[in-house]
Amino acid sequence: MSDHDELRTPVSLQGIAADDPHLAPAAHNPQIVERVIAVTFVLGLLLVAGFGACYWVNAKPWTLGATMGGGLTFLGIGLIAWGKYLMPRGPFVEERHELANSEDDRNALAAAIVERGGGVVKRRKMLAGLLGGGLGIFGVVAMFPLLRSLGPLPKGTLFSTDWKKGTYLVDITGRRVHQGDLAIGSIVTVYPAGLENTDRGQAVDQTVLIRISNENFTTQKGRETWGPAGYLAYSKLCTHLGCPVGLYEQELQLLVCPCHQSMFDVTNGAVPQFGPAPRPLPQLPLYIDADGYLRSQDGYDQPVGPGFWERGASLS
Amino acid sequence: MSSDVVNTKRAKRQTAGPYGKVGNAINELDERLGVAKGGRTFMDKIFPDHWSFMLGEIALYSFVVLVITGIFLTLYYIPSTDLVTYHGSYLPLDGQRVTEAFSSSVNLSFAVRGGLLMRQMHHWACDIFVGSIVVHMARIFFTGAFRKPRELNWTIGTTLLILAIVNGFLGYSLPDDLVSGTGIRIAYSIILSIPLVGSYLGFWVFGGNFPGTTVIPRFYILHVLIVPLIIIGLVGAHLFLLVRQKHTQFPGKGRTEKNVVGTPMFPVFMAKTTGFLFVVSGVIALLGAFAQINPIWQFGPYTASRISYAVQPDWYMGFLDGALRIWPSWSFHSFGYTIPFEVLIPAVLLPGLLFNIAYVWPAIERRFTKDNALHNLLDRPSDRPKHTAAGVATLALLGMLFIASSTDVIANFFRLPLNEVLWAMRILVIISPFVAYPITWKICKEVQALHGGGKRKTANVVTRTALGEYVATPAPKYVDDEHQELDATPVPRFIVEGDEPESSGVRVADR
Amino acid sequence: MTSSLVKRAAIFTFATLVGVGPLIVFASASGASGSPHTAYQTTRKNAGTPNSSKVTLNPSTGVVISYGNKYITYNAPSTALVTLGQALFLQNCASCHGTEANGVPANGTVGSFPDLVGLGPATIDFWVDSGRMPAADVRAVQAIRHTPRLNPAQAVAIAAWVNSLSPSYPDIPTPNLKNANVSDGAALFALNCASCHTIEGDGDALASDTFSPSLRNIPAFEVVEAVRTGPANMPRFTGNLSDQQVDDIVKYVTTEIQHPNNPGGFGLGGLGPVAEGFVGLLLGVGILILIAYWVGERQ
Repeated sequence: MSDHDELRTPVSLQGIAADDPHLAPAAHNPQIVERVIAVTFVLGLLLVAGFGACYWVNAKPWTLGATMGGGLTFLGIGLIAWGKYLMPRGPFVEERHELANSEDDRNALAAAIVERGGGVVKRRKMLAGLLGGGLGIFGVVAMFPLLRSLGPLPKGTLFSTDWKKGTYLVDITGRRVHQGDLAIGSIVTVYPAGLENTDRGQAVDQTVLIRISNENFTTQKGRETWGPAGYLAYSKLCTHLGCPVGLYEQELQLLVCPCHQSMFDVTNGAVPQFGPAPRPLPQLPLYIDADGYLRSQDGYDQPVGPGFWERGASLS
Repeated sequence: MSSDVVNTKRAKRQTAGPYGKVGNAINELDERLGVAKGGRTFMDKIFPDHWSFMLGEIALYSFVVLVITGIFLTLYYIPSTDLVTYHGSYLPLDGQRVTEAFSSSVNLSFAVRGGLLMRQMHHWACDIFVGSIVVHMARIFFTGAFRKPRELNWTIGTTLLILAIVNGFLGYSLPDDLVSGTGIRIAYSIILSIPLVGSYLGFWVFGGNFPGTTVIPRFYILHVLIVPLIIIGLVGAHLFLLVRQKHTQFPGKGRTEKNVVGTPMFPVFMAKTTGFLFVVSGVIALLGAFAQINPIWQFGPYTASRISYAVQPDWYMGFLDGALRIWPSWSFHSFGYTIPFEVLIPAVLLPGLLFNIAYVWPAIERRFTKDNALHNLLDRPSDRPKHTAAGVATLALLGMLFIASSTDVIANFFRLPLNEVLWAMRILVIISPFVAYPITWKICKEVQALHGGGKRKTANVVTRTALGEYVATPAPKYVDDEHQELDATPVPRFIVEGDEPESSGVRVADR
Repeated sequence: MTSSLVKRAAIFTFATLVGVGPLIVFASASGASGSPHTAYQTTRKNAGTPNSSKVTLNPSTGVVISYGNKYITYNAPSTALVTLGQALFLQNCASCHGTEANGVPANGTVGSFPDLVGLGPATIDFWVDSGRMPAADVRAVQAIRHTPRLNPAQAVAIAAWVNSLSPSYPDIPTPNLKNANVSDGAALFALNCASCHTIEGDGDALASDTFSPSLRNIPAFEVVEAVRTGPANMPRFTGNLSDQQVDDIVKYVTTEIQHPNNPGGFGLGGLGPVAEGFVGLLLGVGILILIAYWVGERQ
């Protein structure tokens, strides 16, 4: 017992003389250091007391932080200096013990596991198999409720928006956009009427409406009627990571994504010109009804926003 | 023992022995828990002393600050996306419909005394926490401290870095302000990009299509309970392994693979490290006092169609944002399926690859160096040029990706064209490791030559003889009694105070 | 008295709706065909109509002197300034924009410089008063805000002369910030302005060497001018933002954006996480490493 202990804590049983240089402070002139430390402690003490005072009178936030931070820093520096300059300089040594045990000890552990456990399992293979199977199945089925209860299945929600045939375009206040509302070079974020303040309207259906100078501008073949009176509408969701593409440069005719600077050519079906976005912004076909209000001819012809596996291979 | 004697105070003092109340308390504790031997061993524990060994302590103590300030914040923060009308002291938000999460975050900044300081300290502590983990990890890497027997602690440390980044992102998201909401939106899209299961995972994490309704409460419980618990557990394991395996040390006088030279736990190391805890807390408090961080009241509440330009994530996510910016728009659209490689590669595969390399690095290096020995003495980085160069190359790559996350800020600051800056960053990111590697390798070789393979050259004294010859003779060794390093001595069990009779070896025998 | 004013205002509004409405279409069509480079270049002519309830006419000539409401008043530059304005224009602007202000300099090529005729007083005033014009560097992709070479009165005089060639709107605005709501302004700013100028109003680099300027040092009326006229690449906000909403935005810009309270300490230049990262790493971690360097032993 005692032999073993000596191995584990092999410190000298001998004392050390009080004037041993290992016990001397590291500082050349301990008195001066002590005085300096005393000053830092006094400063620290005053500042932490000041923190209390500042809190008491509800002073500005920076005074709270300055007093607390300054006080703690001074106290800490004083304490470090105390340890560094006034405490025994050492150096002291300690043996490292090999953590590894002897070969026999390891064999004994391995034998215990393999022989006892292995023997039990080998003799009752069927039982072990059944138990293992049961736990394995539980491990798998336990995942079902854990995962499945977290949220609904995507189903078709990622593919559709709330833009339908004849949906009115409204701004954030719910006001319908009229043909005369936007001057050339204007941009406004629009939503399907009634959804302007809903999560889905904001996050999925958000669309930018731009007015350019040309009447009935065709951004791409097959979209001849989509931009009446120079009104062009594109999904505001970046096809890269879904940030709102709200940055419109009217002379360059670019929509720029503020997140990663993908640039979409407004006059060419919002085809990406630069940056990481892989697909054009889907365009919303518009028409102007008899009263002069802007409405959608139909929904988007493709899923809006960033890419995902089931999205399909079509680029537009 | 008869109770009538023991119960008197005087009797207690008499039985307490020469160490008074402390001795008495130890007696009581030891009788019940047997703490005396282990406690003594702990007090005598030697910590090698080098400034670079304090880097991990910065992380540990900033984590302490994170926990304390975080507990304060939980008392006032409400993890709810229910809409309320803000009527607080910040007038530009007055009357706006905001989520309770945002409203409570603004209120705890302005209406709670000391709240803003706590919030800013929490955020600064987080930036410093992750930063010091990275610096600490670099120290471990470059000095070879991860080698056998410490591979497991390297693995735990890498996990801690990942968890710190994840928890930083979760916490950053909680105020539900414009900037953090944009971050959540991007995170959702990154989950969505995973082939086959992405849309399902996205719906399950967010409880539906973005923005969902459950993401703030879920992020909250992850941020304040689950991830911190794992971090605390792993920090405990990290420190336990450190104590069990003992700290590594640099080679030096009297230092071998089989000993540890330094300062004892009590009182020297304890004084220094406690002082350092105060200093770390103090510096964080000073930053919280004078440097405004994440002014959510200016950002305003998040709604999905609002956006601010020039939004970046916190610095530790910067390398991901940079990778997303510079990666070209290569997307896979075939066979009826889409694989968004433009997101998948930079935001999922790249960090996955980096962290997995970190995990298996000790094994890789063991394979290449065929070195299966135990290492308790550290390397100088210059002693292993290839290893050091590989580390610097990785850091260069990460640093360039980090810089790439602020292409717009660089372009604006230096008035350069944005697109050209982005192209420049693409090129720099690719070439930076290939430039950093040979340069580092060469520097290591030069440093080796300078130090003569790590040994100091002896000085020569050149004298002119009477005949006019110059003769170089080795300089006499300069001896400074004050600064000469002593031979290390074991921690003394007691101090002999000269002629005091009770201070003899007898007391040890009494134990 | 008041009834006659209302009557006049109603007549005026009707007249502009009937008269200027088709003009927009006409102007846009002509702008499109007249552009030398692309068929889809926008035009900024006739940027706004005085569709307000409070229109003041010159009693003798019947010309609009001012219009507006309790949020923003738009004042036409005085016709007395036209002569001075022409002289200033010939001195400072004609070398590029031509003596007719039609973008055709004496020896230059057609289409190199913008045609200013019919752009409205606010546009001219904005460019001159912000010091962007006369341009410091005519080859620059984007004019940069400078200390103005011409003083505000001279800017108005130039606007008066250019406007006299083909009278148009909007006139020079004066926002009344007393009636503005800063909270509505903050929300509108986040939706309409932050995507380019950043949420803290610092501006940032945009596509093709363009940039959104900082809003930290802009007088209130110039904010209205920019919003209403859409200078250079900035989109124009007319029918989609009412005078009240613009007034709200201006109040938010001139108070919180330009004079943020920064209760948490130094604002770090509004660069957000980039600056925060630098401070956290260099200042925070850096100082602590230096202290660690002191605490520990150095070999």
